[in-house]
Amino acid sequence: MTEFAIETQDLQYRPGPGFEIRDLSLRVREGAIYGFLGPNGAGKTTTIQLLLGLRRAQGGSIRILGREAPRELPRILSATGYVPERPHLYTEFTVAQAIRYHGVFYTRFDWAYAEDLRRGFRLPPDARLSRLSKGEVGKLLILLVLAQRPDLLVLDEPTDGLDPVVRRDVLTALLDFCAQRAATVFISSHLIHELERICDWIGVMDRGRLTAELPMHAFKNGIKRIRLARAPSLVGDTPFTLVSREATGLDEVWVVRGWQPPMMQWFQGVGAEVLEVIDLDLEEGFVELLRAARSPQAT
Amino acid sequence: MFKQVLFAQWLTSRLALAVLSVLAFALPLVSVFYGSDLATTGRGGLGEWLLVTDRVAQVLPFFAVLVGALLGILAWSPDLAGKHVYALSLPVPRAVFVALRFGAGLALAILPSAALAAGAAVASLAVRLPPGVRAYPLEISVRFTLATLTAYAIIFALASASRRGQLAIIGAICAAILLDLALLAFGASFSVTAEALNALTTWPGPLSILLGRWALFDV
Repeated sequence: MTEFAIETQDLQYRPGPGFEIRDLSLRVREGAIYGFLGPNGAGKTTTIQLLLGLRRAQGGSIRILGREAPRELPRILSATGYVPERPHLYTEFTVAQAIRYHGVFYTRFDWAYAEDLRRGFRLPPDARLSRLSKGEVGKLLILLVLAQRPDLLVLDEPTDGLDPVVRRDVLTALLDFCAQRAATVFISSHLIHELERICDWIGVMDRGRLTAELPMHAFKNGIKRIRLARAPSLVGDTPFTLVSREATGLDEVWVVRGWQPPMMQWFQGVGAEVLEVIDLDLEEGFVELLRAARSPQAT
Repeated sequence: MFKQVLFAQWLTSRLALAVLSVLAFALPLVSVFYGSDLATTGRGGLGEWLLVTDRVAQVLPFFAVLVGALLGILAWSPDLAGKHVYALSLPVPRAVFVALRFGAGLALAILPSAALAAGAAVASLAVRLPPGVRAYPLEISVRFTLATLTAYAIIFALASASRRGQLAIIGAICAAILLDLALLAFGASFSVTAEALNALTTWPGPLSILLGRWALFDV
């Protein structure tokens, strides 16, 4: 096994004018729960489809679980559980039939665990999928991929549109599974607070490019909004990364990454006075990162 | 694995299969409605009866194409709604999955063929034929099965092709027609489409099974 469950190098994909995945180099450590963030149309689903061979990349390389994609795709997919953005199961099936159909394709499929999950999720075995609610379909999709006993879970907006109770059930089942199996989870979601609770790494995608990839603690603790008096007009070498700066009257507000308390001294050294250091939650940090990535200086 | 793919295909095709199988059973029996005791019928009556049975038999190649085409289209219908994402994310080589789907469709195509064979056998047994006229239930059943499978294979292949592949095929057909029109404008007697059709419909062309003599009762 390698250090990374997912590793892409300079991935290129351009389905047509107006959108492209450019130089995408992702690294998802084994055993990590990796949150894949990005606004609508950023390329998250496309990236996932490239990883799993649903689309063919036009350049770059992909390694998943130490195997090269798409050359070794069947072996990769046999150890990967995938929940797509839109339910893809055959709606003519009943719950029991869907489980039987899915299970025969996976040598490690745990039938007893699937039955336990079905009971736990209160999914009636004879209910036709076309009659299930969105929440029930969401639970069934999670059931199927967890019963595969995969080494890697790739989840594309798995809780999107689910009510809070179902969402909690799904995430609890997911976290229980990860605790037991030390599986890697690659999860894309709009629900930033949900990712904040479960992820230990995050990657931020915008306009087909990966704009940040860092451990969750570094992201949560390292992004600060700092209100300054007498801010220097020119900034040379800094011990942190200046994401953005904005004048507010006499003061200035800086958003910085990689912040640590001893860095206060740097401001004293340049004659600035730190008036306030404000913690940003993941959502605010995400918005600031996107704003910085989209500013003219960033391009 | 095959059993599950067959079951998935059965779920989506069962209604069409039921209707087609009933029709396949009923078609050979139509002849019987126009008379069953031909041994005592006069020459004129026998000629009229043979004409009717012949017309019924001429419907069979079209019906075989309909059965094959429907099954070919329905083979991929479980995957179409989900844009093939489920099939593509399963851990089997794509060629294997296509073979599973193709095999399942072939297995299901046996049902209307078996129904037609049963109908042809019942019709043959129900009719008293005069000397010199014979029933060919086995021959027509084999012919119908082969025609159905040919149509199924062609439509399945077209339905399995990528959009680019399908466009290439449609483009090639359009190009051939345009070329024919151009040749016609220059007064040429050669036709690309006529030659292509001729190659397809004469032995060993795959569509040759659809032409020729289709008859359940003949001299």
